[in-house]
Amino acid sequence: MKKNYYQELENRPKISGKDSSKFFAPQSIDEIMEIIEENDDYKIIAGGTDIMVEKFEELYEVKNWLAIDNIEELQKIYKKNKQLEIGAGVTHTQLVQSNLIKDWIPALKEAALDVGSPQIRNRGTIGGNIVTSSPAGDLLPVLLVYDAEFILKSKKNQRKVSAEDFFTGVKSNILKRDEIITKIIIPLKKNNFDKWTKIGKRKALVISSLTLAVRIQLDNENQKITDASLAMGAVAPTPLKINKAAEKIVDKKFVELDYKKIAKLVEQEISPIDDIRGTAKYRSKVAFNITVNAFKEIKEKIEGEK
Amino acid sequence: MKYKIKFTVNGEIRTEKVTPSTRLLDLLRDDLGLTGTKEGCGQGECGACSLIMNGQLVVSCLILAPQADGSEIITVEGIKKGNSLHKIQKSFIEAGAVQCGFCTPGMIMATKSLLDKNLSPSSKEIKRALSGNICRCTGYAKIFDAVKMAAKKIKMNGSDNNA
Repeated sequence: MKKNYYQELENRPKISGKDSSKFFAPQSIDEIMEIIEENDDYKIIAGGTDIMVEKFEELYEVKNWLAIDNIEELQKIYKKNKQLEIGAGVTHTQLVQSNLIKDWIPALKEAALDVGSPQIRNRGTIGGNIVTSSPAGDLLPVLLVYDAEFILKSKKNQRKVSAEDFFTGVKSNILKRDEIITKIIIPLKKNNFDKWTKIGKRKALVISSLTLAVRIQLDNENQKITDASLAMGAVAPTPLKINKAAEKIVDKKFVELDYKKIAKLVEQEISPIDDIRGTAKYRSKVAFNITVNAFKEIKEKIEGEK
Repeated sequence: MKYKIKFTVNGEIRTEKVTPSTRLLDLLRDDLGLTGTKEGCGQGECGACSLIMNGQLVVSCLILAPQADGSEIITVEGIKKGNSLHKIQKSFIEAGAVQCGFCTPGMIMATKSLLDKNLSPSSKEIKRALSGNICRCTGYAKIFDAVKMAAKKIKMNGSDNNA
């Protein structure tokens, strides 16, 4: 069919040459809320490592930039009432360097260290990783297995949502237009052992083909499993909690586990697809293998503690 | 709308007017004429536009110029002392680490960022520190040699990480 060129011309975006774009650099969370209320069309930028890539070819179409990389109250990690509170503006480098993270959530340190490159880790934030909501987001499986909760704040309201309920699909989540993530809250538990695994085509600057986070909590004698959680990235439209496999191993003694049986359950529970980073078949097979390996490594960690 | 920003580039305080969507990279190259910082991919994957901002290695293609307001920036032009090249630059030349040269400024800034913190890096640490920088002439071995050579040269001069 012959193309209707006139119609195409009419549908072209109208460029007026008028410079109406704005840049906001609020200094506090309250100021962010004011700006969000007064402006309909805005893009939030923190480290810029996702949004600048997404908008690479249309930077000048962004009407209002809302830069939140200079807000101190978003950039702190602290321990409070048996919880770890991580500001949404904390960078991956901060996660890697934090002793609190190293001591309480070692897998989060490992995952943060696997993100991008030094340049990306120095700018990219945990809040950005969450809001981008990529099924391959490297911090997300770890947040899932540690039962993280996110504080979503709007001008009038504040709500707490579990990481599990936050993600709704590929790059989509329940965040409302006037909400931002301010904090990530992680309950701290003793006798946790974890393992983070990332599979990618190269080590740096790669979107994960497959990721796995495992957390096992043992009783005081380091024998019986009191709580277990597994989650994977890039195997479903959202980062995915592997519940059936986790339920099967709770209340068992760690030494009695059959790693291959657990891995089989993991393989059955995921729904990977074919894409440029790997086929579904490849992903299933590798999911099995990295699960077995993760349990082997956790076993070593437990033995190291004794 | 244009925004007035004030920042330090290579030790000099500059005041510039920028539009909201100007990238730091464009501000440096087009407005300040600091063309040592290169644009490769423009999407943070190649590291050619790496520079040091507030003591941290960053890629300037992913930072909006107004975000650099109040910051302190060092580009590849700012590391030499007087007329003498920095020891890292000398090492890159001596080790034969420069082929087409396009990735070199980024590689040098990544090296500076590493050696500012660690003057005895292991091979693994060097690889990790330079993992955000891509060389398409495929000359990594010589680049790693240059980093080791630079570390040695700087160490011989005590703690002076300068020319």
